[in-house]
Amino acid sequence: MAYEPVLVKHVAEPNAYTLDSYLKHQRGYEGLRKALTFTPNDIIEQVKASGLRGRGGAGFPTGLKWQFVLKDTPKPKYIACNADESEPGTFKDHVLMERNPHLLIEGCAIGCYAIGAKVAYIYIRGEFYHVQEILEAEIEKAYAAGYLGKNIFGSGFNCDVYVHRGAGAYEAGEETALIESLEGKRAQPRLKPPFPAVAGLYQCPTAVNNVETLCNVPPIVLNGPEWFTGLGPDKNGGPKLFCVSGHVKRPGVYEASMHTTLRQLIYDEQYAGGMLDGRTFKAIIPGGSSVPLLLEAHLDTPASFDDIQKAGSLLGSAGLIVLDDSVCMVWLAMNLLHFYRHESCGKCTPCREGGDWLYKLLQRVERGEGQEKDIDLLFGVANNILGKTLCAFGDAAATPVLTTLKLFRAEYEAHVREGRCTIPAEWRAKQPVFAHAH
Amino acid sequence: METVTLTIDGRAVTVQKGKTVLHAAIEAGISVPYYCYHPGLGVDGSCRVCIVRIEKMPKLQTSCSTTCADGMVVSTRAADVVDARASVLEFLLVNHPLDCPVCDKGGECPLQDFAYTFGPNESRMDFPRRVFDGEGVKADVDFGPTLMLNRNRCILCTRCVRFMKEVDGDAQIGIVDRGYGSEIATFQEEGVHSLISGNLMDVCPVGAITTRDYRFKSRPWDNPAVVDTICTLCSKGCNTSAWLKAKPEWAKASQLIRMTPRFNPAVNGYWMCDIGRFNYHWIEGETRVRRPMLRRADGLEKVSWHEAEPRLRDRIQAAGSADPSGVRFLASAHTDTESLFVLKQLVEGLLGPDGLSAVTVTWTRSEKRQPPGTTFTVPSTNAPNVNGARDLGYRIGRGNDGQPDDADLRGDVAAGKIHALYVIDPGPDGSLGDVSWILEARLNGTLPLLVVQTVALSELAAAADVVLPGAAYVEKDALYTNEQGLVQAVSQAIAPPGEALEDWEVLTRVAKSLGLALGHQQSRDVRRAIAAAMPDTPYADADKVAFARPVSARNWLQASNPSERWKWDFMFLDLPPVKGHSVQTEGTPMEGAFIPLKPV
Ligand SMILES: Cc1cc2nc3c(=O)[nH]c(=O)nc-3n(C[C@H](O)[C@H](O)[C@H](O)COP(=O)(O)O)c2cc1C
Ligand code: SF4
Ligand code: SF4
Ligand code: SF4
Ligand code: FES
Repeated sequence: MAYEPVLVKHVAEPNAYTLDSYLKHQRGYEGLRKALTFTPNDIIEQVKASGLRGRGGAGFPTGLKWQFVLKDTPKPKYIACNADESEPGTFKDHVLMERNPHLLIEGCAIGCYAIGAKVAYIYIRGEFYHVQEILEAEIEKAYAAGYLGKNIFGSGFNCDVYVHRGAGAYEAGEETALIESLEGKRAQPRLKPPFPAVAGLYQCPTAVNNVETLCNVPPIVLNGPEWFTGLGPDKNGGPKLFCVSGHVKRPGVYEASMHTTLRQLIYDEQYAGGMLDGRTFKAIIPGGSSVPLLLEAHLDTPASFDDIQKAGSLLGSAGLIVLDDSVCMVWLAMNLLHFYRHESCGKCTPCREGGDWLYKLLQRVERGEGQEKDIDLLFGVANNILGKTLCAFGDAAATPVLTTLKLFRAEYEAHVREGRCTIPAEWRAKQPVFAHAH
Repeated sequence: METVTLTIDGRAVTVQKGKTVLHAAIEAGISVPYYCYHPGLGVDGSCRVCIVRIEKMPKLQTSCSTTCADGMVVSTRAADVVDARASVLEFLLVNHPLDCPVCDKGGECPLQDFAYTFGPNESRMDFPRRVFDGEGVKADVDFGPTLMLNRNRCILCTRCVRFMKEVDGDAQIGIVDRGYGSEIATFQEEGVHSLISGNLMDVCPVGAITTRDYRFKSRPWDNPAVVDTICTLCSKGCNTSAWLKAKPEWAKASQLIRMTPRFNPAVNGYWMCDIGRFNYHWIEGETRVRRPMLRRADGLEKVSWHEAEPRLRDRIQAAGSADPSGVRFLASAHTDTESLFVLKQLVEGLLGPDGLSAVTVTWTRSEKRQPPGTTFTVPSTNAPNVNGARDLGYRIGRGNDGQPDDADLRGDVAAGKIHALYVIDPGPDGSLGDVSWILEARLNGTLPLLVVQTVALSELAAAADVVLPGAAYVEKDALYTNEQGLVQAVSQAIAPPGEALEDWEVLTRVAKSLGLALGHQQSRDVRRAIAAAMPDTPYADADKVAFARPVSARNWLQASNPSERWKWDFMFLDLPPVKGHSVQTEGTPMEGAFIPLKPV
């Protein structure tokens, strides 16, 4: 049975982002209306029953997260929607917000209702200027139509949604750094515990939820948890957006169930349509740039949280970066470390100092000026970052080095032996990779 | 006290509930390094060097941010902990200049110490180091009126940032840029402008923040001794340490080289203000009075006590026998309790039971400009012993919180009713406040006799007939009563210079020459008399007060930086000697490696 998209079915239509289109095609705000006839706890139970897992990277069950939000407190509670989407190879939240903003707005409102919040902040990536404009315009429409604001649907429930644009930092997507940034501080993570569910924004209970996560909530309320679980493998239910990029014919955002295998997502006509002409598959990073590589042998793995983990990687942000055999793995690691070195918030020692060191070593090896001991050093330094940092960024920064060393050490050795890059793809020169190198 | 018991390196450790694992380890004498942690600041968890293994936790944990729980099993020596810790130290050092010989922190640097103990043997880093403002001394940049900053040495522990935010109350220091480019900065490079800026040198675990006053003036190993004492420059009474620098062989005695705060939760916490820290140069300054002086036709002449005393006696007796009410005393509230007590005995001996009415106690007040949110306030009263004077029965008007009441004395001096004025001014210069009315009376001849017992040849002393050399607060064992009414002990760090004497002794000699045998041989005798005279008061135990003696600074260096002194004070134990001894490789720490200290 062909999969029927839920989240992005209409996004290609010119007026997809409008309230009219949302009401017409997606039973807009019916989910919210229905939710308000239940108790907040019922909504949490429904989301728990659906098994919805966070789409921001960690795959944590959303219903549980909402349940953890401290109830017994006089403090206000908040939804902080994580729209920072900065993981390399990830561009799904962008599409949702730009083309289906009311789905997110409705998700925010239901989320607020469920956890007892009256305010949701959508923390949007600094570069998404035009997306912010669209979102804010559509939020105005939702207010005008009575879907936001005071006494929604006569239920007595009040809800405000604000968009807050960051200054453009990857680390601002880490949930506690996001909260700091929302408070007007540097986007640097906090120590956990306490977790945001207990002491988040302004030290008040806060649920941080990814855009795609919240977009799944209205359909769950409308169609029921069983419908949602039925769409995917056990514990990996619901619709899922995959961002396929790299050396494929049709890079893009594709909605599918998590039964879909990596191979299908790369090769099927309805998805990325196969490798670029004349190119051979070499490896894939299945979850944004921060997760281990998978090889040809893994391609029949379903792209679900659990299956990808079993295969030795992580689904992460579901950014599938497809690499062909023109990609030098040393260059790949260097390219990614350029990013991580630049984006490290600098709060903790191993990431601040280690990221730069890795980058310099990779540059040296890639240029063919490295020695055998540099390869060992890369491994040592990356391992010394792994597991020792304040937030998960450190592991993300170490992973490209560790995974390429593990699977493609021979390429590193060839660079050292031959004193040059052994896979110098000619397309590389055209990419201004070091546009903002320090 | 609710407690929890956990196991650290196989030892059962019981601590107060709510304490962190790092705290428990330090309390148990188990050495765990730390940089971002400071007991006086909020936990940050960013340096990652305090990492330990805790059973049942999947990853290594930072001990500074983990609260102790019953039954927790902690290892600071497991192989993975040793490696992880060494790797964090390696990271901290990859961009560090490593020119300890020319760094002001060298010898008392936690980065040095912990790196020796826990760090890797060599660095694997072979890229050029990160440079911010220039190489070498070019990296030393202005950081406000009291401080210098060297960003190349900074390890971004953010203690300085948090100090300004949490203690000073004005978050002047921040970090600009991010990641590898992060640097400590102030708005438009204005530097730090704060009344408590000197604490930044203490909290900085490396030589990044230094005080202009102390930097490159001494080396820790040239400061052989340290004395625990109290600051007396205002009514707060911060607990401090006076550091002594050895003078070269050819010179006598040591030199007061810096003041640092000493932990006292009831008074000053971990901090002190810049007034107390930097305003000590007058003690060994140019204008210091070292011998008695008598006025001759051509000015003041230095004389011996034996010459000064008869002259003083004759003139006071002459003034007093003409009209006893024409003899008055003006005492600075910087005068210690012992001296005020002897002064009281003196005036009561001379003038009878109402003798205290002949004494005016004076001090100055100034509002300190501090941010509203500060947690360290510097009081307005710039004298340490207003409350001590009040307790002894002196008339002090509204007391510690008010202006001194010297209107009567001023009026009488102006009216020419005073024949002899005896001033006690143990410094610093200016602490008597406005003395122009005395100078005026001298100029127009309405005040025939002026005696000044002082430390500095002030304008007032220069106008005196007799100048007697007294002692500054670091030169005596003495009691002062702070704004809270707390009786605190100031300990002698250096001897009074030349023929100068402690003020109680000056007054005892003056009394003796006037025929009053008070019988005090030592300051202890005075305290005994105070204790006997004031039972059922905080002074009842005045004779039992233990004063600190110089401690070999060698002990202190194990505590690294002066701000690490807190561990000595309330945990009694500290790290074993660091150089060459590695705790994790030697199994149990050596017997005798700990130097137990008494709580202060
Ligand atoms: C360095 C770093 C960057 C992250 N960036 C994002 C992001 O851009 N968007 C996002 O939704 N989650 C991001 N996360 C994950 C969030 O911390 C958090 O887990 C997520 O927003 C929770 O939402 P979810 O439960 O709906 O997935 C990031 C995490 C880290 C460590
Ligand atoms: S791991 Fe990196 S990004 Fe995360 S807190 Fe540390 S320095 Fe910042
Ligand atoms: S200047 Fe000193 S206290 Fe401030 S962050 Fe750097 S090392 Fe820490
Ligand atoms: S606050 Fe007062 S007692 Fe404390 S250091 Fe400053 S002047 Fe001295
Ligand atoms: S002292 Fe624990 S992380 Fe810095």
